[in-house]
Amino acid sequence: MSDNSVKTANDVAENFEPKILVFACNWCTYAGADLAGTSRLQYPPNVRILRVPCSCRVNPQFVIRAFQRGIDGVLVAGCHPGDCHYTTGNYYTRRRFLLINRMMEYMGIDPKRFHTRWISGAEGPKFQQVVTEMIEEVRAIGPNRKLRDDMKVTVNTDDIVASVEADTKVVADNV
Amino acid sequence: MSNAFVYNFDQVQNEMRAMAKELLESGEATMVIGWEKGALPYQSTPVMIRSAEDVDKLIWDAYCQQNLSTYLIDYIYTDEKVAIFAKGCDTRAYNRLIQDNRIKAEKCIVIGVPCPGMKNAREAARLPENAEVPMANACKECRYPNPVVFDKRVGTDVTAWCTERDFSDVEAIEAMPADDKYAFWQSQYTKCIRCYACRNICPACNCTSCIFDQSASGWCSKDINASENQFYGVTRAFHVAGRCIECGQCEMVCPSEVPIMLMNKKFIKDIDSLFGAHEAGLDTNTPAPLSHFSVSDPEEFM
Repeated sequence: MSDNSVKTANDVAENFEPKILVFACNWCTYAGADLAGTSRLQYPPNVRILRVPCSCRVNPQFVIRAFQRGIDGVLVAGCHPGDCHYTTGNYYTRRRFLLINRMMEYMGIDPKRFHTRWISGAEGPKFQQVVTEMIEEVRAIGPNRKLRDDMKVTVNTDDIVASVEADTKVVADNV
Repeated sequence: MSNAFVYNFDQVQNEMRAMAKELLESGEATMVIGWEKGALPYQSTPVMIRSAEDVDKLIWDAYCQQNLSTYLIDYIYTDEKVAIFAKGCDTRAYNRLIQDNRIKAEKCIVIGVPCPGMKNAREAARLPENAEVPMANACKECRYPNPVVFDKRVGTDVTAWCTERDFSDVEAIEAMPADDKYAFWQSQYTKCIRCYACRNICPACNCTSCIFDQSASGWCSKDINASENQFYGVTRAFHVAGRCIECGQCEMVCPSEVPIMLMNKKFIKDIDSLFGAHEAGLDTNTPAPLSHFSVSDPEEFM
C-alpha cells in the first residue's frame, strides 16, 4: 500500500485506486462516518479517516503534506458553522480554507482533489455521498503527480551558479 | 510617479541628521537606526548609531528600501530606547509588530520620513551607470508613502502616486490552465535555495520560533527540491496572509528572484473579496482577517 510508484500508463488506467485522506472532526464528522458504518451504508474503501479534535485543528500544511506524501485527494470535514463543540473553531476553519482552497488552485492543484465539507453526526448518508463522489471524481482525473516529494524535481544548480556568477561580475565591474 | 524626481533627498537627509543628533545628545534615545551608504552606489544599508558624533554616517537616498522596523524586535528585552527612521511601509510594519505584541511603543521613537518611492536596486546593478533606474516593484503600488504613525517627523508629506493595487499579475496567473500554473510555480520554486532571507526580513514573519527551524518536528525536511520548496513557499505566504504590509522586502532580498509578492498578493486579493477590504498595519486596533471571523462569512462548504 505504501508503494507510490506507477509502472506504466496502462497500470494507471486499469489499476488506479485513489487514496483519499479525510480529516474528520471528532464531534461531528467522525460520528457521521460512524453512523454511516452502523447504518451499513457502503462507500469505497479508498478513504483513510484521520480523527482530529476539531476541523480547526487541521493546519493547511497538513493538506500540502498529504499531497507531498502521495495522497490523491484530501477532504477536511467538521461540524456545521454554529454547531462547533468548541463554539467557534469551525468559523476559523472556514476563513482559512476559503483562502487555502483558492491558493491551491492558484498553485495549479485541481480543485477536485481538495474539498472542505460540513458533515454533522446525524449525516451518515451525507458522509457516504461526499466520499463516494470524491473518490469517483479523483479516480477519473487519475493519480496526483503534483507537489509529490518522491517526484524529486531537483533544483537546477546550474542556473543558480550562472546567476551568482553574473551578479558577481556586475559587482566586480562596479567596484 | 514624477514627484520622485523633484523630491529633495539632501534636505531631508540634513533634517534626519539634525534629528538624530538632537535625540542622542539629549539622551532621549540611546540609539538611532537609519541607513548609511553601502559599498556600491545602489546600496544603502542599515546603520545603528549610538554617538552624536557619528550622525554624519546617516544618509537618505533612493535606495533606502530596507525596512528598519524589524530591528526593534532585537531590543525588546534591553534597556535601550531606540529611535528608527520609518517610511510609510516601515510605519505599517511598526504597527504590525505592536499589534503582534513583539515590540513596546514606550521603548521606541518612530521618526516618520515621507518617501518618494525607492528605486529598484537589482535593476540598478544591471543597468549601465547613469541610466534611469525604475522604481522598485513594491513602491510602484505604494498607497501610503507618508508615515501612518510617528512620534517625530522630518520632511514634508508627498502625494501618493498610486490609489489602487494592481492585481493584473495575479489575474494573469489565475487565468492560466492548471498545468501551466503548476509549471510556472515549479520553475520559480526550483530556483529557491531556502536561504530564508524572505522570512528573516519580513515584518509579518516575526514568530519567536519558526516552523522551518524545527526539522525534527517532521513537518518539513531540509531537502532542497521543488516539493519542499513549494511547501515552504505556500506556508510562508499563508503565515503572513492578512498581515502582509506589501513592503516587498521579501522580493528585494531574494537571491533567486522568486516572485514572492505574487503569492502574498493572491492572499490579499482573496481576503479583500471574501472578508472585506483590509489594509494591514494602518492602525493597531483592526484585527488581522485570520485572527477573527464573522458568522456571515461566505459559505462554500455546505
